[in-house]
Order: sequence, then structure tokens, then C-alpha cells
Amino acid sequence: MSVPFPSADWVVKYKEAINGSAAYKAAGATWEKGVVALVCTKKPEIGLPDDVGIWLDLHQGVCRDAKLVAVGEAQKAPFCITGDYARWKQVVRKELDPVKGMMQGKLKLKGDLATIVKYVKASQELVECCSKVDTKFLDE
Amino acid sequence: MAYDADLNFNFVYRTKIVFGAGSLREAPIEVAALGGTRVLLVTDPGVVKLGLAKRVEAALGQGSGGMHVGTYADVPSDSSIDTVERGAALGREMKADAVVSVGGGSVIDTAKGIAICLGTGHRLVEHEGCNTLSKRLTPHVVIPTTAGTGSEVSYAAVVKDAEKHRKILFVDWFIIPDTAILDPELTVGLPPKLTAATGMDALTHAVESLHSLQREPIADALALHAIRLIKEYLPQAVENGKDLHVRGQMLIAANIAGCAFSNAQVGLVHAMAHTAGARFGIHHGHANSIFLPHVIRYNGDACADRYRLAAEAMGVDTRAMNDDAAVEAAARACAELAARCGLSARLRDVGVAESAITAELAEATTYDGSIVYNPKFVGESASLIPVYKAAW
Ligand SMILES: [Fe+2]
Repeated sequence: MSVPFPSADWVVKYKEAINGSAAYKAAGATWEKGVVALVCTKKPEIGLPDDVGIWLDLHQGVCRDAKLVAVGEAQKAPFCITGDYARWKQVVRKELDPVKGMMQGKLKLKGDLATIVKYVKASQELVECCSKVDTKFLDE
Repeated sequence: MAYDADLNFNFVYRTKIVFGAGSLREAPIEVAALGGTRVLLVTDPGVVKLGLAKRVEAALGQGSGGMHVGTYADVPSDSSIDTVERGAALGREMKADAVVSVGGGSVIDTAKGIAICLGTGHRLVEHEGCNTLSKRLTPHVVIPTTAGTGSEVSYAAVVKDAEKHRKILFVDWFIIPDTAILDPELTVGLPPKLTAATGMDALTHAVESLHSLQREPIADALALHAIRLIKEYLPQAVENGKDLHVRGQMLIAANIAGCAFSNAQVGLVHAMAHTAGARFGIHHGHANSIFLPHVIRYNGDACADRYRLAAEAMGVDTRAMNDDAAVEAAARACAELAARCGLSARLRDVGVAESAITAELAEATTYDGSIVYNPKFVGESASLIPVYKAAW
């Protein structure tokens, strides 16, 4: 059954997908840099009245915790990537590589870009995991 | 195929270009056009010593009716958070509402940082990362004194975090300077060695835009013309630095190559030059010049068609050549240009010991942001050791 993005259900499925991915486990095996938070900015007309944060506690190739958080909480993460709904939709559909999205001004990053770049393969595997979640988009 | 079938890109050339010998005199007009009335001049001791800062101060005018309210000349060759913050503090104290930078890459990046601080009222580190800004900053007019970095049109700035021993990156469309005044009179004092090194930096920007994974036709057009200009004029600029026409053509070449890479990105040459340059104290342009031919060979099988274009722009007739020969011709043409300009070709020539080429150096190279766009994916850092060795 498809789950809406973003939602608590989606985050649960996403965590399962990450922890079920051998490719991510390998690519992120040395990641010890802490939490990566994703923020989707609000879009009331499609039923997203507030900014939504997704908290991903990633460590050594494993997603230890994944949850929805308020935007203020998300911004405390060492890496916080922000985009509007249309951009995240492109990421989830594998139409936009997140690292390139940052360099092209399509996604915001608060945090050390060099670290994100070093883990570009891991980031691509995380996107691959997104695409494994049967996702329902709010604007469709 | 030169481009992916699903080619898609954004292209931004936001900076207004004002070109011409003596165009420095336009500075107050350009500042006023941006709404500025009180200018903080940002520069470095070398530019002051050459008397160039004084010329810009005079052009801006001082006292009542003038625009110049202060000069911050404390920029080292490697800017830092502290350097930016002190400049911003001076700007606030002077109630500056515009920034004019006169210098090379470090000065321009410092001024970008100062414009962030003055424009947002925030501390610089709050904007580390990509696209953290949401509005235009304090107006920034750049007057380059070198022809190479392209920083006057680029959307990135790098400064050192001295405490944490790392470089921090700012990538944002809002930090692109508003206006660049390209006045060749300001580059005639650049010594031959620096002229050569900065010129090879510009050549590397052009070649790397061509091979980047984010290559696209508009950036290609700029890069290819930049290569033609550099091939023609760089040796002349090294030979006779006083020739204003030649200096002007190099300023234009560096500018359009800067715009090309700001849109298309750079690749492995820059990743190696950043890493080895910082470690062994090699000038950025010279480091690029050393690595460029070797990276072309390393990437050759991934994008021979791109290097064929580069070789053609360097004046080589590649029609009778197969791909391998065209790649080799491009690598040679770059190496020959560097040699003609008097730059040494090997790492050993700049004091690097062979034992310094380690797995750790190769690993550190993969942390550089430029590597993302290299046409050949660098999966294992060990694959870079032969490239470093070849450059040694
Ligand atoms: Fe460069």
C-alpha cells in the first residue's frame, strides 16, 4: 500500500528500506558524522500546512532511528538539507541527485559540504532506498 | 554523445561586466547604480604596495561627496573566518552599504564573506553550506588584479577555519558579485610567474568545464573561447606584461572561463590541486597546471570527445587522430603551454618528495567537492596514486 510523503508512515517504511539495503550498508559503513535531517517546506494547498523535518540517525551504514520532527529540531542536526515539495519529489523519484541539487541551488545544505561530497555514493543509495518506498505524493 | 539525452541545466551569469583600459573610473558609477553610497574597500597588502588601492580610493572619492569610507587591507593569501569577521566589523563601524574588492581570489572571497555578514547581520559560519541565503546581499563590485580565478563571477567562496584546521565552503547564487570591472591597467603589475600560474588556473577552469559531468552547451561555448584566448594571449602576457591589449584579453578569458565553471563545475584537477596545493604550499594555478595533463590522460577513455574539442581550441588539427591520439594531443598542448609560460611541470620541481605521495593524500583528495563532477567516477582513492606519481 502506498504511503504519503512526507508522513510518519513514510518515515517508518523508509527506515526499513535503508536497513534492508546492502548497498547503503556498504556505502555508509564509515559514516560516523551524525544525524542527517531533511526539511520539506510547507505547501498548504496540497495539505502540508507546516514545514516538516525528517530525522535520520545514520551510523556506520545503519539507520538507528528515523522520525518526523519539527523544523526547529531538524535544524539542530549537523547536516540539514532543505527543499520545497517539488524538489523532494524529484529526489524521491530519482530525478534529482541531492548533491548536484545543492550545487545547482535547488536544495539548501546547512553543514559541511566536503563531508557530504565524500559520501556521495551513500547519498545516492539513500535516494535509491526512497524509490523503494511505495510513495503517494500529496499533489497527485 | 557530448551531452546526455536528458540534458537539463540551469545557467546563471549574473555579474555585470564592465571592460576596458581605465574602466576603473567607472567604479563610483557602478556602485551608485547598485544603490551604494558608502564603500568599504577590501584588498591586500600587495595591492596596496602596488599603489592600486590608492587609485581605487581616489576613483571612489573621499570626504564629502566621495564614497570611500574605509579600506580593509588585511587579507592574507589564504583568507579565514577571522579575516572576514574583522572586515565585516570595520564595515559596520563605517556604516558601509557597499563593498568593492580589489585583488585576487582570496580578496574577492573575503569580500563575498563580508557581504554575507553585512547583508544578513549574521556571523559568517551561520551560512556555511549551500544556498543558505534568501536575499540579495550588500552590493559587491569586484576589480580583479589577476586574470585567473574567475571568482568575480562565481557562486562559491572558500575560507579557512583556522581553529578547526579545515576549509569551509559557501556555495550560493546570492554571493555572486553584482559587477566586475575588468580594467587591464590593474593587471600590468602582475609578475610573469603569477601571470602564468593564474592563467593556467583559467585554462584549467575551461578544460574542466568541458569534461565535467555537468557540462552543457552554454558553458562549453564560453570554455572553448576561453581556451582559444588563453592559448593565444597567455604566453604574450607572460612575455610582455605591460601590453594592455594582451592583459585585457586574459581578463576576458579568465572571466568567461570562470562563468563556465561556475555553471558546469570543475573536476579532479581541482580536487588534486586543492589537496596537494594546501599540503605542499603550491600556488593553486601552478598546481592545476601540473595536474591538468595527467588528469586528461586518466579521464581520457571517459570523454575523449571533450578533449578533442579542447585540443582543437588549442589549435591542434585532430581530424586524422583516433580518440587516444586526440586525448594525448590535448594533454600535450596543455603541458606545452605551461612550459612556454615558464612553469615547471612536475611535483618534484616544486619541492614535493616522492614519499609524500601516500594513500592518505589520495584519500584526502576524494573529500574535495570538485571530485563529484569528474567524468570518471573515482570509486577507490588508490586509483589516484598513479596520477599523483605521474605528476611527480
Ligand atoms: Fe581554480
